[in-house]
Amino acid sequence: MTNNPFPLSRDQLLAAYRTMRTIRDFEERLHVEFAKGDIPGFVHLYAGEEACAAGIMMHLTDIDRIASTHRGHGHCIAKGVDVHEMMGEIYGKSTGACRGKGGSMHIADLSKGMMGANGILGAGAPLICGAGLAAKFRGDGGVGITFFGDGASNQGTVLESMNLAAIWNLPVIFVVENNGYAESTSVEYATAVDSYVDRAAGFGLPGVTVDGTDFFAVYEAAGEIVRRAREGGGPALLECKTVRFFGHFEGDAQTYKAKGENDFNRANRDCLKIFASRVTAAGVVSEAEIALVDREVASLIDAAVESAKGAPLPTPRELLTDVYVAY
Amino acid sequence: MTPKVGIIANPISARDIRRVVASANSVQIADRANIVQRALAALSACGIEEAVMMPERGGIASHLLRSMERSSNQGEARFPRLGFLDMKVTGTVEDTRTAARMMASAGDVAAIIVLGGDGTHRAVVSECGAVPIAGISTGTNNAFPEHREPTITGLATGLAAMGRVPPEIAFAANKKIEVSIDGGAPEIALVDVAVVTDRFIGARALWRPETFRELYVAFADPEVIGMAAIAGLVEPVTRAEAGGLAVTLAPAGQGAMEVRAPIAPGLIETIGLESWRRMPAGTVHRPSLAAGSIALDGERELFFDPHQDVAITLIDRAFRTVDVSAVMRFAARQKLLVGGLTAARPLENAHS
Repeated sequence: MTNNPFPLSRDQLLAAYRTMRTIRDFEERLHVEFAKGDIPGFVHLYAGEEACAAGIMMHLTDIDRIASTHRGHGHCIAKGVDVHEMMGEIYGKSTGACRGKGGSMHIADLSKGMMGANGILGAGAPLICGAGLAAKFRGDGGVGITFFGDGASNQGTVLESMNLAAIWNLPVIFVVENNGYAESTSVEYATAVDSYVDRAAGFGLPGVTVDGTDFFAVYEAAGEIVRRAREGGGPALLECKTVRFFGHFEGDAQTYKAKGENDFNRANRDCLKIFASRVTAAGVVSEAEIALVDREVASLIDAAVESAKGAPLPTPRELLTDVYVAY
Repeated sequence: MTPKVGIIANPISARDIRRVVASANSVQIADRANIVQRALAALSACGIEEAVMMPERGGIASHLLRSMERSSNQGEARFPRLGFLDMKVTGTVEDTRTAARMMASAGDVAAIIVLGGDGTHRAVVSECGAVPIAGISTGTNNAFPEHREPTITGLATGLAAMGRVPPEIAFAANKKIEVSIDGGAPEIALVDVAVVTDRFIGARALWRPETFRELYVAFADPEVIGMAAIAGLVEPVTRAEAGGLAVTLAPAGQGAMEVRAPIAPGLIETIGLESWRRMPAGTVHRPSLAAGSIALDGERELFFDPHQDVAITLIDRAFRTVDVSAVMRFAARQKLLVGGLTAARPLENAHS
């Protein structure tokens, strides 16, 4: 009998942890750097939600497309976008993934199947239907995944896209990252249909809810949903109940949260702590290996910030280059 | 003051992976609120004046209160007064356990109506003590709660709670199975305990037969789905008779025989069987699998390692349920819901 009780090899477990740690450190560092005033525009941090991105994206390859959100750094990292290019993009530098013209909310890398973060709530859903239709016509087994939050779930674009995906039987997955707040509005107040699974059922799509702070719950459910879509089983919805450690945007005073809520979530619902404690308790991964990943990721983030700060801004001559890209 | 009836309605049952790997349905939140409303109307018809409900954040209460307000605006007063327990809502199974505990300790709750699947009922039974429960199926497998129109469940619960039916008729005793690891506090199952090779909880549900190794059931009904269906198809055991059944399983093609069993809605799988035997109450069973996870009523809840001791024990007469069929038959015989200004009698020669 194998000594590994998990559905992933030791190397895969370490890769999953590395992805989540990279997202966490990336976001924690941006929280600090944004306050210094060097980063243009807004940033919306994904810290706390790492298990969602990592658990889903481990089932994807570069032929699979994702359409992300305004809170997209985690999706980018988990999909394989280069961290240096991401940091450069957020700093608006010419070394960025989009040559510094997109910023935090428009990071894209089509070579990785990352169709872009998106500043428009719910706008990823119709885009992913296009990607899903293309994959269906190509017959390459690719799937499309759109992420959106509990707030964007009320956008007409999302509902129309579910309808479209259902009638065209697209290999598309709708992922609701339900962190409990639409910006500052509680989900209980803002959503008349209280369950996203109910909403999917209205379009004839199966829906599944998982604990988004449990990597293994996300991983196992996403695996079945992705497999089903690849095999022609059609679209589905996955709701990940998760938490966000920071505000809606950097600078958000978070007065809508209960006193101590963030501290409680960091102590009890931190997906990295939960993951690390399970894999080390099982003896599959050692604490030393976890610590090594922590150090390597810290160095990576340090280097990414340093290189982004030192990189040149795009010049006025580049204003109209790369603006229109043929997909 | 009439006795109160408690209501625990789980807003997040029937949301797991079996919507994808099987064809399980999901009862919508608005439907769950409607079910509570039907049960409340039935309770009121039996004379229950007050009900107390578990608060939740899933939307059942808000739908219900809106609906009751509309009914009240129309001059209808066909519901008991509805209160909510004063408890912190976590959005987890702890809410169900807390609510059941509070209802049991209140002293004036005569019965608890439960909306959910097997897991929800298990959570209620773990804390409700001697207070009888009446189950309404809104889960996935629903092997424990019987399928029935909630209005009838509400009527039976109301009649039983009001003392209009003798307790020996109104309430039935049920079995449960306790699982203890290393002598710790036992977890319980109401229907089945499955030992599987997975050693992680993950998406919880069971749908991969190649992982199934052992099965212990409190009752084995060939009309239910889930793990208990496997046992039910080889040797039925009723809810009322003493003891259960222990089944040794194997991957398909590797057992002494095979059974095609509905292990989830719309999912009929070939299951390998080695053997089965009766499981007397009070006898401790220990899995032969060295390490794996333990699914309680169809959901992986616990995992164990080779060095750990797992004890599985069936308990007879562990908790009470409202015997809806018996209550309604008694009500019909005793004309409990029949009234009139003049003496009515059955028609003779109705077909002439």
